Amino acid sequence: MTMTSVEGSAAPMRVSAHARKGGLKAHERRVGRLFLLPALAAFTLVILFPFLRALAVAFTRSDLQTPEPIFVGLANFRAILATPEIIGAFVTTAVYVGLATAGTVVLGLGWALILNQSFRGRAVLRAVTLIPWVLPSTVTAFVWGWIFNSRFGVLNAALVGVGAIPYPTAWLSTTGGAMTAVVITKIWFSIPLFMSFFLAGLQSLDREQIDAARVDGAGNFALLRDHILPHLRPVLLVVIVLGVIGNLQHFDTIFALTGGGPVRATSVLSIEVYRRAFDQWDLGMASALGLLWVATIMPAAYFYLRHLLKGA
Amino acid sequence: MVSVVLSGVRKSFGTVEILKGIDLTVEDGEFAVFVGPSGCGKSTLLRMICGLDEVTSGTVAIGGEVVNDVPPAQRGIAMVFQSYALYPHMTVAENMGYSLRLAGVDKAEIRSRVATSAAVLRLDKLLDRKPRELSGGQRQRVAIGRAIVRDPRLFLFDEPLSNLDAALRVDMRAEIASLKARLGSTMIYVTHDQIEAMTLADKIVVMNAGRIEQVGSPLDLYRMPANRFVAGFIGSPRMNVVAAVVGPDGRPVLAGGAVFPVRTDLAPGTRIDVGIRAEHLSPAENGDEGTLSGAVRVVEHLGSDVFVHLAVEGAAYPVIVRIGGERQVRAGDLFRVTPEPSSIHVFDAAGLRVPTRSPARSAA
Repeated sequence: MTMTSVEGSAAPMRVSAHARKGGLKAHERRVGRLFLLPALAAFTLVILFPFLRALAVAFTRSDLQTPEPIFVGLANFRAILATPEIIGAFVTTAVYVGLATAGTVVLGLGWALILNQSFRGRAVLRAVTLIPWVLPSTVTAFVWGWIFNSRFGVLNAALVGVGAIPYPTAWLSTTGGAMTAVVITKIWFSIPLFMSFFLAGLQSLDREQIDAARVDGAGNFALLRDHILPHLRPVLLVVIVLGVIGNLQHFDTIFALTGGGPVRATSVLSIEVYRRAFDQWDLGMASALGLLWVATIMPAAYFYLRHLLKGA
Repeated sequence: MVSVVLSGVRKSFGTVEILKGIDLTVEDGEFAVFVGPSGCGKSTLLRMICGLDEVTSGTVAIGGEVVNDVPPAQRGIAMVFQSYALYPHMTVAENMGYSLRLAGVDKAEIRSRVATSAAVLRLDKLLDRKPRELSGGQRQRVAIGRAIVRDPRLFLFDEPLSNLDAALRVDMRAEIASLKARLGSTMIYVTHDQIEAMTLADKIVVMNAGRIEQVGSPLDLYRMPANRFVAGFIGSPRMNVVAAVVGPDGRPVLAGGAVFPVRTDLAPGTRIDVGIRAEHLSPAENGDEGTLSGAVRVVEHLGSDVFVHLAVEGAAYPVIVRIGGERQVRAGDLFRVTPEPSSIHVFDAAGLRVPTRSPARSAA
């Protein structure tokens, strides 16, 4: 093969003999679009269609008593706003998302800082840290269910043993205890992923920068405040947004651990929608609630996508 | 202004011993340069003086006080790092004032001290910039400025110029030299570049494989290298070293038959190395003693000088000769050179310097 000669011309250098100004030709574009079809078909089938369907159902009355859905306009949304339990579910969700996200960020960062030190057995500890991540979520819920168990749980045994509480407590039967339990379970479940993000961020921190700060007189707190946290800022943003989105959507461990109880204390939106749809078969209300739920996720998702696209 | 005294300093990482007993004194106000090949332990030694690495055994004393257990910030030192280690999210002014801020100095004074140092280093117009907006040379000056602001007793430099291009390195070298003259502080400077060592140092410490090979002024090391390693490390181009044996009259004889015009007291037949620098070889006249001859392999024209690489019989490596820039030499020519007798170095089998004397005088 010979190079195209450019003698006597001031034309810009070509990347390849096939490249030309204006990119692909029309027929190539048509072929190109064909390649998108499978992905488009899958998207339509499993995302777009169900979404539009739910959108339509949200404006109907569709339950076991109505064989054919009846268009009711905004009635479902009005009913939602008039139902204190559902408003309560929004509040519960906010509390759950806030606690679980903050807890995971703080503990994940702390754990990453520890695993970033050099000590004997660090590699083993790093590997062990990933275990919660690979456990199925129902197994996680089951494990923690036993830990919190009022009669046989290790938590009660430990607390009674050291004299912190006089007699065993039924953690999952109190409203505060149940919320604490689902939050702790979710934090435990999410720490490995968050820790990995933070650890990757920490490892890209210039060691000489930390050395220089030490020579300048920075102690551990100043290092964290002035160097580590500013360095991790982009990671923190991504992790918080992903955490909020993930916790807003979270369903399985809560459902397995408490089923949303006691007395709706852990009934977050995902549980609420599930109950409306598959316990009460009120698909209209469930769809309307689902739409509102999606709307709460949207700002975080938008922020994340914008960050992702800007970074690309 | 302090002295630094290292006594029996050793450093091990696990089972690997990096520094094998270092004894060294850097006097008050002295500019000491640690020089040596990669992995010789010079940077580790500097980090131990700084307090960033712990001393395995031995003591580090700064200003008469043993500082083994004193954290870096309280040693009264400032360090300039190879990567500059500027804080990327802080402006130049914040970078320079960071140590003062941590020390609780009030804002007005930080501003004035930063401004003074910035003016000295021509950074005054860059104070609001972030490090990423600066060129390599400017970053280097900020790193130095950050050190000056603290008014330290001791400056430490860890290969500060190795990330700069050649031209900038020459400029910054001059800048550091003028800084040294103006501040008069004790400075310790680590480099693998022997030209930096020669031009900046009051005292050069040549290190190799965790040990000090020789300590002395640049000219001492150049004129009287204690061993073959120092001889090869100091001076550019490297000193020519050729294998020889001691002849019957004590004069070194090259494998090719050439006899060098110096004498040693070693027994005839002893294997030795003879060292001679490129600048101490000159084109031979007829009848000169100890001439080396060989075919010209390579000719390097540097403008002012020409370096000629000769394939001398009996020498494992080409012998490099410096001649005047106006002389015409072509590859393939036969070329004869003669060494300056007072600049011939002889090393024994262990690589240590052997005293030599002029054969003429001893014969008389």
